[in-house]
Amino acid sequence: MAETLLALREVRAGYGDSVVLDNVTLEVPAHGSVAVLGRNGVGKSTLLLTVMGYTSLSRGAIVWRGEDISRLAPHLRPRLGLGWVAQEREIFPSLSVEENLTVAARPGRWNLKAVFELFPRLAERRQSKGNHLSGGEQQMLAMARSLMTNPSLLLLDEPLEGLAPIIIEQLTAAIRRMALEEGTAIVLVEQHADIALALTENAIVLERGTIVHRSGSRELRDNHALLDRFIGLKLEESAHAPPG
Amino acid sequence: MTLGMMNFVNLAHCSFAMLGGYVTVTLMNGLGWPFFATLPLAFLAAAVVSVVLERVLYRRLYRATDLDQCLLTIGIVFVSVAAAAYIYGTIQQPVRLPAYLHGSFVLMGINFAVYRLFLVGMALVITLILVASLEYTRFGAQVRAAVDNQRMARGLGINVDGAFAVTFALGSGLAGLGGALSIAIVGLDPSFAFTYLIYVLIVVSTGGLGSIGGSFAAAALLGISDVAGKYYVPQLGSFLIYLVMLGMLMWRPAGLFGKR
Repeated sequence: MAETLLALREVRAGYGDSVVLDNVTLEVPAHGSVAVLGRNGVGKSTLLLTVMGYTSLSRGAIVWRGEDISRLAPHLRPRLGLGWVAQEREIFPSLSVEENLTVAARPGRWNLKAVFELFPRLAERRQSKGNHLSGGEQQMLAMARSLMTNPSLLLLDEPLEGLAPIIIEQLTAAIRRMALEEGTAIVLVEQHADIALALTENAIVLERGTIVHRSGSRELRDNHALLDRFIGLKLEESAHAPPG
Repeated sequence: MTLGMMNFVNLAHCSFAMLGGYVTVTLMNGLGWPFFATLPLAFLAAAVVSVVLERVLYRRLYRATDLDQCLLTIGIVFVSVAAAAYIYGTIQQPVRLPAYLHGSFVLMGINFAVYRLFLVGMALVITLILVASLEYTRFGAQVRAAVDNQRMARGLGINVDGAFAVTFALGSGLAGLGGALSIAIVGLDPSFAFTYLIYVLIVVSTGGLGSIGGSFAAAALLGISDVAGKYYVPQLGSFLIYLVMLGMLMWRPAGLFGKR
């Protein structure tokens, strides 16, 4: 069995005194992939923010390659190999596209050449300022910027949200390449359940901050009754769903 | 830089400048050091003291309101003024520049003071180094990234606190250097920290928050109009600088190169 990269053990976390996640246990093996599904506001983004150290963890532990990192400062976590692509993309507006990519880059397989090959559009816009990009370009940049830190695990927070179908196709292909060809482990939070399940091996469904279902992604994809019950709304509404 | 980039209202900037000035006069008059040898120490002393203050006091107020930051830093100004008066007394400190920086020469009918030209050159060089290191180095990009979005910067592994501490030290060190360089012209007594605070604030707001080039342009413009005003329209005297500031801020409320 592959080494466990990331493990959450009975995690309870939230903001200030309010608890958003409770009793969340999850393991992501090296090269593994997990889809995190659920309706808006069930704590999917909070799950990723907790791994990155931006919430207050009141119970349980976050373990990276066997070491407890629950109390580790947020800026030290990416240096262990954790990559995070935030939901709002959060491009640095006063940096150029190229600077956004190199500002936190660490040596490894992913360098400028490799990410420009993955997203040729970014190469064309390398001198543009971060705030002069379209939504799709911003998402490509956010993903590429995280790749440049050469993570072993990439946390993707709704990377396809609000984008045109053609861009979604490009990004989906990129994620597939990262996960399948390059072996980067991914945790994918996504409203487009069909795409997320096609890209991942395993899936969990969150409801009100706890995991209510876990299975293989293919299994969940084929189980229309379950899908309908947990996230049925999302399959039809995904195009109009508000961020959450 | 601290005011514009880190969004910290640091009214104590001129206290660091004053510290640099006192370091220079103490080393020159007390220990007989040559003027130029004291400059790196003026920079260093201000930088080190500022980092200590940053770690102990400033960092607690990064998320506080502007008013809280003002109150803390104006308090530091009062303390620094009192400390300077306690140690050095309230008299003007004498500075003796090296002979080759004295005097003046006449070129095309205009009288140039050597030391003033030297200061103009220094200002240009420092500005160029600053702009270059902020715009073209990875560290500069990390500082700008941290200013844009601290959470995302941390999420990529950038040491935001460290970058800010270095930036702050650099800014304060330059204040110390500026203080040491300026005292030969403007003099040094404990009121220094207050007297020049107003000019610093005028320059930063007119230049545009967070813009080094803007601060430089504003400083040059305001300095030139101030001096020119005192020469050619002495009736207006020291008021001209405020009129220029008013005019420029009405023309560009965010400052010359300001974005916010």
